Amino acid sequence: MSEAPESYEAAVERLEQIIDRLDSGQAGLRETLELCREGRELVTYCSAELDAVGEGLKELRLDELAAKLEPEAG
Amino acid sequence: MEELPGPFPVGRYARKLQEELRRRARVRLVGEVTGVSRSKVQAYFELRDAEGAVPCAIWLDDLEKAGLPEGGLRDGAEVVIGGGPDYYPGGGQASPSFAFRATHVRLAGEGDLLARLGALRKQLRAEGLFELQKQLARPRLPKTIGVVTAESGAARRDLLAGLRRRGWAGTVVWAFAPVQDRRAAAAIAAAIQGLAATPAVEAIVVARGGGSLADLWAFCDETLCRTVAMLRVPVISAVGHERDSTLIDDVAAIACSTPTHAAEAVVPLDCLAAREALTRSAAGLRRAGEGAVGTRSRHLVALARGPARALRRERVALNQKTREIRAASERGLAERRAFQRRLALVVLSRAARRAAGADADSKREALRRAEVAFRAHEPERTLERGYALAEDSGGEPVTSAAAALAAKHVRLRFADGGVGAEIDRNGSEHERGT
Repeated sequence: MSEAPESYEAAVERLEQIIDRLDSGQAGLRETLELCREGRELVTYCSAELDAVGEGLKELRLDELAAKLEPEAG
Repeated sequence: MEELPGPFPVGRYARKLQEELRRRARVRLVGEVTGVSRSKVQAYFELRDAEGAVPCAIWLDDLEKAGLPEGGLRDGAEVVIGGGPDYYPGGGQASPSFAFRATHVRLAGEGDLLARLGALRKQLRAEGLFELQKQLARPRLPKTIGVVTAESGAARRDLLAGLRRRGWAGTVVWAFAPVQDRRAAAAIAAAIQGLAATPAVEAIVVARGGGSLADLWAFCDETLCRTVAMLRVPVISAVGHERDSTLIDDVAAIACSTPTHAAEAVVPLDCLAAREALTRSAAGLRRAGEGAVGTRSRHLVALARGPARALRRERVALNQKTREIRAASERGLAERRAFQRRLALVVLSRAARRAAGADADSKREALRRAEVAFRAHEPERTLERGYALAEDSGGEPVTSAAAALAAKHVRLRFADGGVGAEIDRNGSEHERGT
């Protein structure tokens, strides 16, 4: 990937721009292929982001977390 | 200091002070009760809010008459008291003390709280504290969220259910805290700060079910609300229900009416819908990519065919022209040849005439001589000299006696004409049989 998106929303926003541009039919062949490549990278990124919050809800407790961190810090 | 009046005996001054304070207007005060203690005849406490406090005392008789519920006068209770300032001058052994002498006390009602809340709200708004959280960027898809709520409560369950409905299954860091009374405010603030200090936490939800304003009063705590306002992590409040408006709702990035709504606010992205949309986007991209190449390659093929067609057209046209030119040139050539032929004939005939002219006279002389010679040999000339020519019936000359005998009949041609003649065998001098 040329440059990782700043965030999921940034990636989706860019992806929407790309689709709009492609749908407009105004992009030349070189631009179209470039946009498709960028779009595929964004889809991959977004998909990974969704996967990261799709593999089972994890529950932690702040007090336990803090207790764990304290010995490390000390 | 010598210019000051006195010196007066202190006991007299103390009593004078007591009289003056007691003359001050009687008023009602509202605030939170802290530091409750009792003697045999009185109850002592401080009434305070964020700005200050007043030591208070109430005779147990008056307290009883107030009819507060059991344990009503307790730390953290929001009360309204009626009374005025008083001073106990003390005595030879007893210590003097100042107190607001409460003669009446009741728990603060909705109206009292709303009035206090209104004033607080006005102040915090004026300080711009309502805007800070709202200016923070909120992630649409946080991987880790922090939640402050009661360990046992519907809010926790509702929030989890809401998150699951969105298809979100990231990490939740729980910071459990009492959410019921005024004293809860400090614990809630500590929990929120603890979560905000956890690097992975991208957004914080503060959730509590509905209740009276007094129940929710902890979430109107000025210190708590100032803490929330200054955090750099977005806080989503879901305290009480729609009709309850606490101060934390005002300072939070977003205020929700229920924990379910808070789930939608903390994870704005519906993960299930997002996945479907992403699949559509991917398909769209694939189509666009393939389409772009396909359409263009077809176009290219068409373009490539174009010149071939044009060439074919040109070739046909060229062939046609070539034929026309050839035909035209052939016509021209034929005409030219004919012309040249005509020209050659003229030239030749002229040349022939020129060539012929030189020996014509000699030829004519030869011809004349030949004619004379020929005429000398003509049979007619011979006949004119007295000879006769025997001819058979066919007109052929009969040139022998045997032929004459065989012919039996002959025609004799003389110079002046012919006569028929019979061959007389008897007078024949031809030797028969010889």
